[in-house]
Amino acid sequence: MSVLFNMPLFWAGLTIGGFLLGQRVYQLTGKQPFLPPMLTGIILVITTLKLTDTSYEVYMTGGHYLHDLLGPVIVMLAVPLFQQLKAISQNAVRILLAVTLGSATTIFCAWGLAYWWIGEQTLANTLLTKSITTPVAVAIVPQLGGEASLAAGFVILTGMIGVIMIIPMLSLLKMNSPAANGITLGVCAHAIGTARALELGEQESAYAASAMTLTATLHAVVLPLLAPLVT
Amino acid sequence: MPGLLILLAFLMAGTLLQHWTSAPIPSAILGMLLLLVFLLFNRKVPPSLAQTTSTLAPLLPLLLMPVSVGIVTHEDLIRTHGITLLAILVISLIPGILVCGWIMSRGK
Repeated sequence: MSVLFNMPLFWAGLTIGGFLLGQRVYQLTGKQPFLPPMLTGIILVITTLKLTDTSYEVYMTGGHYLHDLLGPVIVMLAVPLFQQLKAISQNAVRILLAVTLGSATTIFCAWGLAYWWIGEQTLANTLLTKSITTPVAVAIVPQLGGEASLAAGFVILTGMIGVIMIIPMLSLLKMNSPAANGITLGVCAHAIGTARALELGEQESAYAASAMTLTATLHAVVLPLLAPLVT
Repeated sequence: MPGLLILLAFLMAGTLLQHWTSAPIPSAILGMLLLLVFLLFNRKVPPSLAQTTSTLAPLLPLLLMPVSVGIVTHEDLIRTHGITLLAILVISLIPGILVCGWIMSRGK
């Protein structure tokens, strides 16, 4: 069996299989926001790694087949951004303000808390990427002196927590217009929030998708420039 | 297929730009910004690129799984700081939600 567990193709295959299983589970459980297909897949892969006592390095000999495709897919994100520019142009100033101030507030709050409570530079800096969609977070986190795998974990968790908190909180405060719901979901819960917005309606999802891509683009450009200040 | 070639060409352009300018911004992000500028000039998405996008977009979470599995290399950290980190993620969202909601609802 050890031959199988050292085979790159086994791990690449398990990753794809885990994702497909995750999609099934997601459909069957009525699309629960705290059970994205990726999470089910990750849990399956990690459990298998533990049971077979395999290291992450060995896993990555297969995992990098998929990982290497991330570059072109990040470039691809320009397409949805371009398509949404029209939708947001009438309300541009307000949206840009919400995206800039909203995302800055949440990431610097996380950075400050991590610095104060844990006092570890790597962790605090990794948290700075928590509001950007995972592919972009993973791409810029090395520039900030953070850890890619931790960044991915924080981003996914933030998205799940955001989806649970945002709509109830905004409704409680009577700030739940489609624009406010959509923008907040996109800024605070990136792609996972955008998926939730899709269920709320067309307006919400356009706002969320624009907010997500704007946040990601802004942070991808600004955070590396700020890096000398925090590292 | 031409769509995929467009993506690779812009990724390459981004990599070259990053190499020449030594900008701290990752090459894939530069490639994305270059593609955005191209689309703004072109005024529409070439059909082949639109097709590639709709094929690849649903696969994005799958491509992110290998790096996410890397969380296994941080077991100690999660054991010591897991609860604190979870609390930080929850608390830091509150001001973000308030600011976004307030700006989007103000004066309407």
